[in-house]
Amino acid sequence: MKNELLIASAGAGKTTLFVKKALACSDSVLITTFTEENEREIRKKFTELNNGVIPPNVTIQTWFSFLIEHGAKPYQGKLTNKRINGLFLVNEKSGLKYRGKYPVYFSEDEIDNHYFTSDYQIYSDKLSKFAVKCNEKSNGYVIVRISALFQNIFIDEVQDMAGYDLVFIKLLLETDSVIRMAGDPRQVTYHTHFSSKYKKYYEGKIQEFVLNECKQLECLIDTDALKGSWRNNQTICDFANKLFPEHPQCESLQKKKTDHDGVFFVAEKDTEKYLEKYLPMQLRYDRRTKKINPKYEVKNFGESKGATYDRVLIYPTKKMLDWVLKNEKIDSFEVKCKFYVAVTRAKFSVAIVCKNNDKSDVLPIY
Amino acid sequence: MIEKIKIENLKCIQGSFELDLKQGINILVGNNEAGKSTILEAIHMALSGIFRGRTVKGNLTQYLFNYNVVNQYLDDVNKGNAPEAPYILIELYMNGSFPILEGDRFTDKSRSSKTSGVALKIALDEKYSEEYESLIKAGELVSLPIEYYDVEWYAFSRKALTSRSIPIKSSFIDVGFSKFQNGSDIYISRIVQNILETEEKTKVAQAYRKVKETFSKDPAISSINSKITGISKLSSKKIELTVDLGARSTWDGSLITQLDNIPFDFIGKGEQAIVKTDLALSNKKAESSSVILIEEPECHISHARLNQLLENIKSNYGGKQIIISTHSSFVSNKLGLDNLILLNQQKTVRFNDLESKEFFEKIAGYGTLRLILCDKAILVEGDSDELVIQRAYMDTHDGKLPIEDKVEVISVGTSFLRFLEIAKHLSIPVKVVTDNDGDISALEKKYEDYIGTNKKSNIEICYDNEEHIGTLILGKDKKPFNYNTLEPLLLNENNLKMFNSIFNTSYTVEDDLHKYMKKHKTECALKIFSAKNKIKYPDYIKRSLL
Repeated sequence: MKNELLIASAGAGKTTLFVKKALACSDSVLITTFTEENEREIRKKFTELNNGVIPPNVTIQTWFSFLIEHGAKPYQGKLTNKRINGLFLVNEKSGLKYRGKYPVYFSEDEIDNHYFTSDYQIYSDKLSKFAVKCNEKSNGYVIVRISALFQNIFIDEVQDMAGYDLVFIKLLLETDSVIRMAGDPRQVTYHTHFSSKYKKYYEGKIQEFVLNECKQLECLIDTDALKGSWRNNQTICDFANKLFPEHPQCESLQKKKTDHDGVFFVAEKDTEKYLEKYLPMQLRYDRRTKKINPKYEVKNFGESKGATYDRVLIYPTKKMLDWVLKNEKIDSFEVKCKFYVAVTRAKFSVAIVCKNNDKSDVLPIY
Repeated sequence: MIEKIKIENLKCIQGSFELDLKQGINILVGNNEAGKSTILEAIHMALSGIFRGRTVKGNLTQYLFNYNVVNQYLDDVNKGNAPEAPYILIELYMNGSFPILEGDRFTDKSRSSKTSGVALKIALDEKYSEEYESLIKAGELVSLPIEYYDVEWYAFSRKALTSRSIPIKSSFIDVGFSKFQNGSDIYISRIVQNILETEEKTKVAQAYRKVKETFSKDPAISSINSKITGISKLSSKKIELTVDLGARSTWDGSLITQLDNIPFDFIGKGEQAIVKTDLALSNKKAESSSVILIEEPECHISHARLNQLLENIKSNYGGKQIIISTHSSFVSNKLGLDNLILLNQQKTVRFNDLESKEFFEKIAGYGTLRLILCDKAILVEGDSDELVIQRAYMDTHDGKLPIEDKVEVISVGTSFLRFLEIAKHLSIPVKVVTDNDGDISALEKKYEDYIGTNKKSNIEICYDNEEHIGTLILGKDKKPFNYNTLEPLLLNENNLKMFNSIFNTSYTVEDDLHKYMKKHKTECALKIFSAKNKIKYPDYIKRSLL
């Protein structure tokens, strides 16, 4: 089978594998991924594995930048001739006409307002839809062109794709180019879409999407090759596995021991001391979490995806803490994913901040 | 390869101009100002972003724009109208697979299938639309507000281009006025750069860097540096003499190419052209599918060397596209008339498309070129007619020869219609001077495409409106004498006495002089040409001289 979907665990060496496969290609290669962070990670991996250079036949682009350059611009003429001035990131449905009793949105025929801001930046949640429409209006030339440009297309973090992204990916799967996708359904942290297209494949159902919607297309699904973690030790793996018991369980391949290994609680009053002693990376849900210690570096959960740290100190949300302490089910898929991402960043130790008076025997308290 | 070029408002091109090009050799022939150089420069600009050795972006001037277009615009602005600001557009439509250049940002909407190409547009920058508007409102514009203009260089896929990213390279071989500051020729270094692989280029750059570093570390330089630092009383900071290590690829501006130890710039212009062509042709790099532009190779070059150069082009162009401009019939003949593109006032004809192609191929193209390169032509049947017309022209134009006014008198034998075909396509003003041979209706039938309702504004057929008859019979087979050729009509207009004095003869009967003139056609014509007498000309001749 020509195409493949790799289901990988956190820290299983997905990027390394991708880069090695890309280096083995003699014809043209595109590697695209969702976040800029991960794009940098891929570049770094290339320089590591290929004497400091990215070969000339390899193009590395974020998904958005790829969609603008090759999805939207070449054949935008049938929809609009105005110059697209880059991307406008949104975190809610874009193209609001007015907010009455219910919000009313511009329809897709009102091209300028449906897809673009007033200074003609394209809304991030509509970009792939725009690309799909350009392709439709141009007899499929958008996809033919991309396939002629790139004989191999690698899509990393594919679990973050949704809605029209999936339509676009399906179109790519239909070409002669070899498409390789990799992702971890437990690490859905970004959503590009707020449309109803393919809504049932939200929540990390990329595997189901390929199985149900791309039946006729040759696509191998591999859930085995990348299920071990080279990053987390076994205690951390076990802890993370509990968040998604329905998924194949991840095993640790990381055997290094230090004087502080495992998953711990740290009381709020002790964080200063803990930070000083172990220098963990502080991780928080988002900027609204103010309790962090500004003297040490801090990252949001989503931002940290793809990164590896020796130790992390997690500031959990209430739902997360309730799950750890009382085993209460986390009803939000997004929260679960973000927690999973945060936990799986660490090689040796994960510390979770708890109230000074919390008592528990679930985890050792530092 | 470039399949088609479209140019708007650049230099001598007013409005829009399109030209189809073909694989291999294309020869542009046309008079000065016909736009040959503009076409070559436009192609080079769109493929390199460079105009006359400088980037277009950094050197925008009003003079790139068509003079009339700018004047019209300024006129409109100052009359209070709000015309669209003029822009320059160059589009190169490519044939072949360049998916990276493929998209739908191009203006030829007759194309619906997949199209790849590159374009360069010089237009008002949207960023400045406010400033521009207030400027227009103020009126009294004396020049194009070029400070509000910007250059956009892009592929049809709307991707901005850089000279590195463009997959088709052009080499411009001109007579050499494009230089770096140090005098080294910008085009030759481009050509050399095109030949080098990335790895080789890096090596040159590194070697160059090393030389510069060694310079700074030389004991002589360091002792000078300590001296300089000692001198300065004003500043306590260290002052040093060093070499600029800044820009990445400065070596191409600093290194010069030498031939037999002579810097490239100091060898003859002709030799420069030959070497440049040689280098450009020898570029075997597969990925750089390239276009070679050659401007008037016959300049600065001896006939023998020109021959060599053309042979070289002919046998080595391989998969490259060659676009060459010339005034020389030798060049066009040598490279094949099949490849000829005739240009005049933004009109073009491919030699291959002419019905009379085979005819012109046989007569070696000289007459054709004379027709294309003139401002106006008078077509006559034979050499003697040509001489008489020359004389008549001088008599009516203060003693100037037609050629001084760029008027060509071309004797075309019986091939009037073939020449008219070219004149029709290129809108060259042409007068035909022809005998009516005593059968005006036959003549009007022959030229029916050019007279009456079919009259072309640039073409006039001049013939005598009367059919003359006489009694003279000639030869054994008793052929009646043709009283309707130029000589008898001239005699008719003047008199026996005067012609006797011109020819130094003493005929008493006109028919005898007719016989004499027929027998000594060319000699008589020469004598008329150089006669001191004032000669009267028939009406249709006078018409042809207007």
